[in-house]
Amino acid sequence: MPAPTQLFFPLIRNCELSRIYGTACYCHHKHLCCSSSYIPQSRLRYTPHPAYATFCRPKENWWQYTQGRRYASTPQKFYLTPPQVNSILKANEYSFKVPEFDGKNVSSILGFDSNQLPANAPIEDRRSAATCLQTRGMLLGVFDGHAGCACSQAVSERLFYYIAVSLLPHETLLEIENAVESGRALLPILQWHKHPNDYFSKEASKLYFNSLRTYWQELIDLNTGESTDIDVKEALINAFKRLDNDISLEAQVGDPNSFLNYLVLRVAFSGATACVAHVDGVDLHVANTGDSRAMLGVQEEDGSWSAVTLSNDHNAQNERELERLKLEHPKSEAKSVVKQDRLLGLLMPFRAFGDVKFKWSIDLQKRVIESGPDQLNDNEYTKFIPPNYHTPPYLTAEPEVTYHRLRPQDKFLVLATDGLWETMHRQDVVRIVGEYLTGMHHQQPIAVGGYKVTLGQMHGLLTERRTKMSSVFEDQNAATHLIRHAVGNNEFGTVDHERLSKMLSLPEELARMYRDDITIIVVQFNSHVVGAYQN
Amino acid sequence: MADYSNKLYYQLEQETGIQTGYTRTGSIFLAQTQDRLISLKRINAGLNVIGIPSEIISPKKVAELHHLLNVHDLVGAMHVPEDAVVSSADVALALASAASQNGVQIYDRTSVLHVMVKKGQVTGVETDKGQIECQYFVNCAGQWAYELGLSNEEPVSIPLHACEHFYLLTRPLETPLQSSTPTIVDADGRIYIRNWQGGILSGGFEKNPKPIFTEGKNQLEIQNLQEDWDHFEPLLSSLLRRMPELETLEIMKLVNCPETFTPDMRCIMGESPAVQGYFVLAGMNSAGLSFGGGAGKYLAEWMVHGYPSENVWELDLKRFGALQSSRTFLRHRVMEVMPLMYDLKVPRWDFQTGRQLRTSPLYDRLDAQGARWMEKHGFERPKYFVPPDKDLLALEQSKTFYKPDWFDIVESEVKCCKEAVCVIDMSSFTKFEITSTGDQALEVLQYLFSNDLDVPVGHIVHTGMLNEGGGYENDCSIARLNKRSFFMISPTDQQVHCWAWLKKHMPKDSNLLLEDVTWKYTALNLIGPRAVDVLSELSYAPMTPDHFPSLFCKEMSVGYANGIRVMSMTHTGEPGFMLYIPIEYALHVYNEVMSVGQKYGIRNAGYYALRSLRIEKFFAFWGQDINNLTTPLECGRESRVKLEKGMDFIGRDALLQQKQNGVYKRLTMSILDDHDSDLDLWPWWGEPIYRNGQYVGKTTSSAYSYSLERHVCLGFVHNFSEDTGEEQVVTADFINRGEYEIDIAGYRFQAKAKLYPVASLFTQKRRKDDMELSDLHGK
Repeated sequence: MPAPTQLFFPLIRNCELSRIYGTACYCHHKHLCCSSSYIPQSRLRYTPHPAYATFCRPKENWWQYTQGRRYASTPQKFYLTPPQVNSILKANEYSFKVPEFDGKNVSSILGFDSNQLPANAPIEDRRSAATCLQTRGMLLGVFDGHAGCACSQAVSERLFYYIAVSLLPHETLLEIENAVESGRALLPILQWHKHPNDYFSKEASKLYFNSLRTYWQELIDLNTGESTDIDVKEALINAFKRLDNDISLEAQVGDPNSFLNYLVLRVAFSGATACVAHVDGVDLHVANTGDSRAMLGVQEEDGSWSAVTLSNDHNAQNERELERLKLEHPKSEAKSVVKQDRLLGLLMPFRAFGDVKFKWSIDLQKRVIESGPDQLNDNEYTKFIPPNYHTPPYLTAEPEVTYHRLRPQDKFLVLATDGLWETMHRQDVVRIVGEYLTGMHHQQPIAVGGYKVTLGQMHGLLTERRTKMSSVFEDQNAATHLIRHAVGNNEFGTVDHERLSKMLSLPEELARMYRDDITIIVVQFNSHVVGAYQN
Repeated sequence: MADYSNKLYYQLEQETGIQTGYTRTGSIFLAQTQDRLISLKRINAGLNVIGIPSEIISPKKVAELHHLLNVHDLVGAMHVPEDAVVSSADVALALASAASQNGVQIYDRTSVLHVMVKKGQVTGVETDKGQIECQYFVNCAGQWAYELGLSNEEPVSIPLHACEHFYLLTRPLETPLQSSTPTIVDADGRIYIRNWQGGILSGGFEKNPKPIFTEGKNQLEIQNLQEDWDHFEPLLSSLLRRMPELETLEIMKLVNCPETFTPDMRCIMGESPAVQGYFVLAGMNSAGLSFGGGAGKYLAEWMVHGYPSENVWELDLKRFGALQSSRTFLRHRVMEVMPLMYDLKVPRWDFQTGRQLRTSPLYDRLDAQGARWMEKHGFERPKYFVPPDKDLLALEQSKTFYKPDWFDIVESEVKCCKEAVCVIDMSSFTKFEITSTGDQALEVLQYLFSNDLDVPVGHIVHTGMLNEGGGYENDCSIARLNKRSFFMISPTDQQVHCWAWLKKHMPKDSNLLLEDVTWKYTALNLIGPRAVDVLSELSYAPMTPDHFPSLFCKEMSVGYANGIRVMSMTHTGEPGFMLYIPIEYALHVYNEVMSVGQKYGIRNAGYYALRSLRIEKFFAFWGQDINNLTTPLECGRESRVKLEKGMDFIGRDALLQQKQNGVYKRLTMSILDDHDSDLDLWPWWGEPIYRNGQYVGKTTSSAYSYSLERHVCLGFVHNFSEDTGEEQVVTADFINRGEYEIDIAGYRFQAKAKLYPVASLFTQKRRKDDMELSDLHGK
């Protein structure tokens, strides 16, 4: 195992030690959608159950192991050159610019940058971005999968369709349904903005479509005839809940096609959190389920940056969530419902898609697993029922929706999975993105306005700004820039190439110990347009 | 134009009594490099001959004229002492009040909604305060002219686009600058600096301009014009480098004032080709104030007399068509044009943006064979072909006033044209077809064109399309396809102008059919003595002069393709053929020609070779050498005019009169004698011609003749009276008896003036015993 040994010491000094000691072990649970069965993880979403404790490597061994390697390897050979580092960081980057001149209907979004850096192999994070075509607005979301990537993949493909359908007026739904009925071409609903690596499942697309169609048929039937304004908040909540419900149902019903049958089960038994933003003019809605986060970058009048959180993490650090869980279950379970900051002692996020192990009754779980394919039956993890499992469901996909009316000082929105937030403080995130964007676009203009400034002073100031700018020149993508900082920041808050190169040269099986998958979307707002709305 | 503006503004203050801020400060144009100094010397030579005093001065002298300047990095400068500064707002006010005094009504705060047009003629203007009837409308809307033009029912395309332009104002210096402080233009530093109320006003034309209002006026609501200091930083650095003492000077403000630019850095004026009475004057490229007065004068003449007193084709709206009107094109092009204001202007510059719009079907084939391209009216044309083993300089390094890096390449192309055969893609030429059901076509054309078109079917006539003054509106070749149908070939940029002219002068009720077929044909020019062999092999038809005389046109088959129009002319005076090929056959014919031609030493050639061949044969070109103020008699083309045939045609009277009185200028070919093409500056155009030490005119174009091994310049020679400066008759004798010199950037080279091309160039082919082994080489 080509582990750069030098690495461990600075890291361990930087308080990683406790993490490794606390949780590092080989956990024998097969990932639902990936072939590698042994994955060491430092911060698993699931803590190993006592039953598997015997699989854990003793701490001493670990220590000796690293000690031993110390004399055996030459660390220099693992250094990546800056271009190599860049090619790793940029492999998944994607930028979308809203077309500059689309008539008078100028968008409040300038565009977005997104990127992801895997730690799991394959990566369990997903991202999506799309423009609603039949209603106004743009959807952006990050999805953090656990116990495999099946659920996050499915949610990233499907959720926006559910949201878009929930937002559609009655007539449009009717039109679409009629078109399906008579075999005419359908109205397009979403314009996706995808990186080539972001794939959609071809095999399940028919199944997914049928579920979606059932949804809109119900919406049509439910319509009372009065044209009411569609409430975005309600639409988001309905869409989340409906999709989770469909995931659950599809797994219960199964599919005659064995591949699909296995797929819907993997989707249901794995889990995913979701953080989705819907931007329409100055109306920004954030729907969050789980512990990804949406952060608004606000530029104060003096040019400094401050962070406004637009979502609440649904985990043990959130008092209200603890409260909610306790209320939803009998008093007798008050102690067991959250243990070691985890749901039933197992799951870190308190809300998520999929994860039927925390939703279905024990009977249902057993029935589905028994009738399911062998792969499912052989899997220790799926068979295992959480402890103290008395009053399911313990988990919901219902999002918490935050509304924010955009102001000219709101310059950008960062959506990111917890992989980012656990390595960087939100304030630093906003500052780094803010400085990056202003550097790129001179958005923070200097004005002389009334002050006494000489040509020489101004010249000095401008030269300084320009040199600052050239340092961010390396990245053309704000998300990439942020990942570079998240992974490579040293004590002084500046990117240390050596550190960056070491972190990125970690072998697949080790990477997960030092970081989680990171997925970031940075949405840039058009202050001019936002300002015009205000007037 | 600027000269007239200067005089106008000078008088304006006296006439109106309104202060225009007119101060004669003079201006100094600095050169940081030798190339810039050459450029200034060329301008200087040009200014002096039209009576504007100016001189090239040393850096030391510059320091004496302006004490704040750092002159250590300068190699020289040009001083124009009579240049003046005015305040633009005050001038506008003065002009307005002078106009009002003479009865002009001015409506303030009134916006034009659109122009009313009936039957292609302006009838009035619809404003937000009601209608105003008028016969003429002038669109002077500056950066909004484009939009206003488009607002018409039949849009008038006025290609221009605004860019943000920044200039800096400061508080006065401790010892305020004198009002007579000269204006400084430091083009290498991309800035200008002038005195402003004791402080300075300084701006420039940066390398990375910010285009604005691409979307039009509605963008005004969301794009407030902010000061952008970061953007200004390079210019500020340049300013402080030029005047280090300004460090302590206090800033007043940075003004963001958009300026309008056109696709070719020349302003736009003249009448719309689509709507009569719709005039335009806009797109001043930041020189609105300096050219405004002169441009206004020409436009006024244009409206009153129908044409201005000077040739302004280069400014004519009709040099553009709808094809330059794409917003994207304009946005991209002005980003190149604005920095060009202060870039070094070298010969043979090609725009790099907005390219590959119109291409021939052979574009990819030629490009793969090393073609380098230039653009005319949006059409890509090959300049020359770089052989696979040769590298040329990068664009920026290739800028030179001396021998260019492609010299040898073009030489071998020219040699191949002379000794074997070359093929040049000339598809860009404007091609019209004129047909009628009866004999009307001939009748109308006989009136519109100066040469006799009543020739047997299959003949080609070189003819001018003249105006009332006898000047060339167009110079073209017309082939008579059959009794009632004519095929007309004009220069590329005539597409809009010629169309408009023909439409205007053709009888309205005729059954004449005019069709623009430019896009239908790909044109290949087969130049060289072996063209005959290539074609006859491809067509199984004898192509010798006996069967296919010169200036003859025939539809025939070439390879598998039928219906190719073959014309025995090459636009160069060399033997060969033009092939007009329906575009779907283009690739086939080209491939056949190249493969059959191989054994005759065929190769591709470009326009530079063509140009060298053309100019050494004294073939003048419309738009460069001749224009609407030059007559056939002045170019020695009397033989191409049907004066003796008793037929009327436009311009006949003027020509008859000229014939009687003699001409006042004469197109002359000058062959440079003591010019070393390796070491001396190359001529370009616009170089003063001196006869016996007296200024007699300027060159209009030039090329190196590889056969004569000399430079050849074309240009008009005048005969200015020594006492009064009045123009006098130019006779052949006057031309022939004189010692000539051409002034290139201040150096005078001896030249031989000729009225007819060198005869030896026309003699066909060397004799058999002159043959040598090298004739067997592939060219």
